[in-house]
Amino acid sequence: MTLMCEDQELLEGFLTESTELLEKIDDDLVVLEQTPDDMELLNRIFRSIHTVKGAASFLEFELLVKVSHKTEDVLNKLRRGDMSVTPEIMDVILEAIDLVKVLINDIKGNEIVERPIEGTIERLVALLENNEGSAAAATAPAEAPAAIESGDNATTMDTPRSDDLPPDEPEHVSAAEQVPIPEQVVPQVASAPARPAAAAPANVSQQSPPKGEELTDKSTVRVEVKRIDDLMNQVGELVLERNRMIQLSSDFQNEMNMDVFGEELGKLSKRINFVTSELQTQVLKMRLFPVGSVFKKFPRIVRNLARDLGKKVNLQVSGEDTELDRSVVDEIGDPLIHLLRNAMDHGLETPEERKAAGKTPIGTIVLTAHHEGNHIIISIKDDGRGIDADRVAAKALEKGLISSEQLAILSQRDIFDLIFLPGFSTKEKASDLSGRGVGMDVVKTNIRKLNGIIDIKSEKNKGSEFILKLPLTLAIIQSLLVEVGVETYSIPLTAVLETLRIKSEEFHSIGGRKVLKLRDSVLPLLDLSDTFDVQEAGEPGEFRYVVVVGAAEKRLGLVVSRLMGQQEVAIKSLGTYLNDVEGIAGSTILGDGRVALIVDPAKLIDTSS
Amino acid sequence: MEEVTTAVHNEKAEQERMQLVSFNLENEEYGVEVLKVREIIRMPNITRVPNTPHYVEGVINLRGKVIPIISLRKRFNLDTAEADSRTRIMVMDMSNNLTGFVVDSVAEVIRISSDEIQPAPPVISGNIDQECLSGVINRADRLLVLLDLEKMFSPEEQEQFGRSATLQ
Repeated sequence: MTLMCEDQELLEGFLTESTELLEKIDDDLVVLEQTPDDMELLNRIFRSIHTVKGAASFLEFELLVKVSHKTEDVLNKLRRGDMSVTPEIMDVILEAIDLVKVLINDIKGNEIVERPIEGTIERLVALLENNEGSAAAATAPAEAPAAIESGDNATTMDTPRSDDLPPDEPEHVSAAEQVPIPEQVVPQVASAPARPAAAAPANVSQQSPPKGEELTDKSTVRVEVKRIDDLMNQVGELVLERNRMIQLSSDFQNEMNMDVFGEELGKLSKRINFVTSELQTQVLKMRLFPVGSVFKKFPRIVRNLARDLGKKVNLQVSGEDTELDRSVVDEIGDPLIHLLRNAMDHGLETPEERKAAGKTPIGTIVLTAHHEGNHIIISIKDDGRGIDADRVAAKALEKGLISSEQLAILSQRDIFDLIFLPGFSTKEKASDLSGRGVGMDVVKTNIRKLNGIIDIKSEKNKGSEFILKLPLTLAIIQSLLVEVGVETYSIPLTAVLETLRIKSEEFHSIGGRKVLKLRDSVLPLLDLSDTFDVQEAGEPGEFRYVVVVGAAEKRLGLVVSRLMGQQEVAIKSLGTYLNDVEGIAGSTILGDGRVALIVDPAKLIDTSS
Repeated sequence: MEEVTTAVHNEKAEQERMQLVSFNLENEEYGVEVLKVREIIRMPNITRVPNTPHYVEGVINLRGKVIPIISLRKRFNLDTAEADSRTRIMVMDMSNNLTGFVVDSVAEVIRISSDEIQPAPPVISGNIDQECLSGVINRADRLLVLLDLEKMFSPEEQEQFGRSATLQ
């Protein structure tokens, strides 16, 4: 099949529109599963898929039309009340939507290949046939496992709909809640063509989501017209100030009174300062993206995981509107998915275990995001079993990640941090989900790449919370300028915990390493003038300054000669030739035009320990 | 037949005019292709970058862009010399990465036809990496060593440049 469409513009419009619609559908479908009575929602989903189908048939994408058409039929049945929403039907619909996404991606990549769509179509058709009239009665006992597995969802969705269903339906609904049929027993429908449907969802849930994610278009941005108007206003003001500056400069050349000149220049620089910082904020805002764009794929992931793990989960999401820079949004998706999986797999218990522990059978995962100064705080909290510090310690010891001497001096908080070690896993057997001992290590690396900090709070049997603290943007950062000998360095303020002024004789040495007794802990020190081999500027004074930095979970004191102050700096890359310099994260240009290097505290902490 | 036509073609190509920027290093004259040279600037404030090869002088701010500066004297193991009023930085385009090279002085732009380029003799100047010598130009009054600075970097370093070029 070749690409028949000649009108590129039309095609692009179609791709953009369907991408947006499909992104929304995913989310809507998961919500629909929980609130099957929401006719408005159902109608919206129906309309979306209808739009995709319509446009696809106009552009003659046959495969796409076939799949979306059948999906539309199934949705139509749901809409008319001929069928009601069950997790099984949902699995098939989601599978179909994933297929639609794959097909659209093919079109987008300009390589249309023949995809096996029969399986999905068959399953969709099976749904259509088997729910017709009283044939549905035959499905009665088989529908049971669905209700049991997905627990609460199934219950809430089953009860209200009983009114508007054929009389024989309500009975097996109530039966469904009691009959404990194991998962393996063929769910869904008894007839032959539907059998693949039962087997398929499992594969789909593992293979399809990544494909679906790719659909998100990151090369274009939608910006509110108002924001652009604001920006235009700011630029207008900047032009005014520029004219003012040209005027002032020519006045100066015409021998202006120096006092007046000084005063005018002072005013001008104040105004330019104001306008440029406003402009900076505006442009930054345009790059901002609600974190919800990452969060919105989570309900789907949690749903699939819950079904795979046989756990009951209630995912509560809040703060989706919290905005952060695109560069950060792109990077936090994977770490968050890892943390969610971790919470689902390790954190939450099975319904039986939960009952035994005196908890509600449905576990809760709370995902929140909010701003805190120049940071965004994202927290993933579960009410599961919590982290068992003893078990973590034992495992780390067993895997040889730590020695028993090292273990002896660790606090409980330090032991939690062991889970971030590469190769750590408490799982006896690796599953598809976790247990390979890579996940948390990846989370830590990714978060650190973003200059972020990760914190763990956990209480046995009460649950655990993973708190990510991330900078809002990666382009402009607050930094602490310090002098090291004759050179100036910039330390990202996100990593700075505190600064101290210390007399040289207060430094101690343990095993050849300089340390500092800071309150009741021992802080390892790193003299930046040694690390960076800096030329000393004259005699060292009586006092040295220590900048205490923390990355992820470790602390380190950087010894510098002088603190120069805090400044907002734009990060410039050192270019590819120098991009791997040890301990240097990048560079920035200071007010006087000189280049200052930005220190990479995380790397320094890593290499010094 | 085919061989003949290619030969003719080659001859034509060889006679193409080339422009070189000539510069001096320790009393010897060198040339680089003019198209590779972005601009020539005086010595600005250079910020040293720690933990880099000795010939990397550091980085500078070139109108808001931070670019690395390499000392050709240090790279070619010549005696180091203090920068004076004639010292220049040639900013070159290395596979889409701007890089500055410190030279003693920049002389002029000269035109040559490509058939003037002779292969470099095996030992021309013991210290200069053979790889980046692309030939010598022997004129009555002067001897000019033609350099291809992109070849100055090891294959790994070149790869690094190339990779970034595709990334951008």
